[in-house]
Amino acid sequence: MKLKHVILSVLFIGFCTSVNAQWKKNKANEDTKIWRYDLECEGIAKQGSKLVKVWSYSKNPKHAISRGMKNAVHGIIFKGYAGGGQGCTPFAALVSDPAMEEKHKEFFDSFFADGGAYLRYVSSATDGSIAPGDRLKISKREYKIGIVVNVLTDQLRKLLESEGIIKSLNSGF
Amino acid sequence: MKIHNLVTLIICSLICFSSFSQAKKPTLMVVPSDVWCNQNGYMMEFDNQGSTIRIPDYKRAFQENAEVLQVISQINGMMAERGFPLKNMESAIKTMESNAVEDALRSSKDSGAAVDESPIDAIKKAAKADIIIQLTWTVNKTGPKKSINFNLQGLDAYTDKQVATATGTGAPSFSAETPVLLSEAVISHMDNFTLSLQNHFDDMFENGREIIVRIQKWDDWDGDLETEYDGEELTYIIEDWMADNTVKGRFSTTDATESMMLFEQVRIPLYNDKGRAIDARRFVRELSKYLNDAPFSIPNKLVMKGLGRATIILGSK
Repeated sequence: MKLKHVILSVLFIGFCTSVNAQWKKNKANEDTKIWRYDLECEGIAKQGSKLVKVWSYSKNPKHAISRGMKNAVHGIIFKGYAGGGQGCTPFAALVSDPAMEEKHKEFFDSFFADGGAYLRYVSSATDGSIAPGDRLKISKREYKIGIVVNVLTDQLRKLLESEGIIKSLNSGF
Repeated sequence: MKIHNLVTLIICSLICFSSFSQAKKPTLMVVPSDVWCNQNGYMMEFDNQGSTIRIPDYKRAFQENAEVLQVISQINGMMAERGFPLKNMESAIKTMESNAVEDALRSSKDSGAAVDESPIDAIKKAAKADIIIQLTWTVNKTGPKKSINFNLQGLDAYTDKQVATATGTGAPSFSAETPVLLSEAVISHMDNFTLSLQNHFDDMFENGREIIVRIQKWDDWDGDLETEYDGEELTYIIEDWMADNTVKGRFSTTDATESMMLFEQVRIPLYNDKGRAIDARRFVRELSKYLNDAPFSIPNKLVMKGLGRATIILGSK
């Protein structure tokens, strides 16, 4: 009888953990669904990539961190950034027409899925650590977290060219 | 066997179609600007009937300045990566020199005749490209701090318009060497430069290639551009032809006299009726034929300069 209770308890705890994990994942996805983030240049990276700081907003700081990479890749593709200090020059988004996101919805949904192909084009520049000034509580319930990442813009551009989403410089010639 | 032939025919047609459907690709070349050459002492001076003429000495700049090679090499590499390899000016100068030596020494085996070269041919022997990427940088120094002011200008060699640009000042540094700062400047500006170049190409594909057309006349021709045909002056006849054959009728008559006409901002289609890529020469060739045929019957000579400039000289070949 006792053994039965133990087994039931273990199964129940396992189920709750799984449900909780799924709920957190969905929550994180909801937070980033509207692509609410800010992107700024963090300096001159090596050739073919951009070093950016992406500020993500979330009620849970952990979600903001985990979604930072996705936001950074999205920002390079659709938003770009203004110039700034450290020799940064303005960077125009790789896709100049915002309607392309909707037009190629299938591709971008799969690209930005959890564990999707976007991860091949971004890496953390600070081993995941966040500077104290980059963890801001902007209201009672919301955090703004900045993480510095390196986005492989040249490779990303080539991918979009091969998918026919953007034109290459020599297309038509 | 029949299927085999059919497949071969289809493949050949596809190859032909794909080769015809490509627009003529402009050549690009990075050239140090006059300002940079002057600031760094790479100028030549000539006495032209009392007035001193100063022109850039590119050959000496390439032989003596390692920084200019580094910057050009990096720009060439980044453009090649975008599928747009550039002409290398240093190599173009060397090729030109070796061709000149070869031409001077070459003679016919049978008659001993030399290679024919008109004075115009001699003038046309220059390192050239359709789009010149003019490069300027200056090193700013404030105490121990250094920064680079960088300027890239893409200039259309025929219309003289600036078609692409990227300019700005890099972050100041106490410790970085100039080549490192230059490398950073190139990396940070090339994306903006290629973006503006892309915008220029997009405009070209949408509105046609922009060219310059000149009409002149030989001084021994008994007619002029004010001669009337069926009650219409030749200048207006040529203007009407331009309006009918340019993309959306776009062109500007900049100058028109009895002996010359100058058309600027002439937008020509990238392909002709057969789907073949055309340039200024091919486009103006049609005007040349139009004037040569009845009722005008004006013999004329067609002269071209690269992809974007063509001149018709009326009166004879």
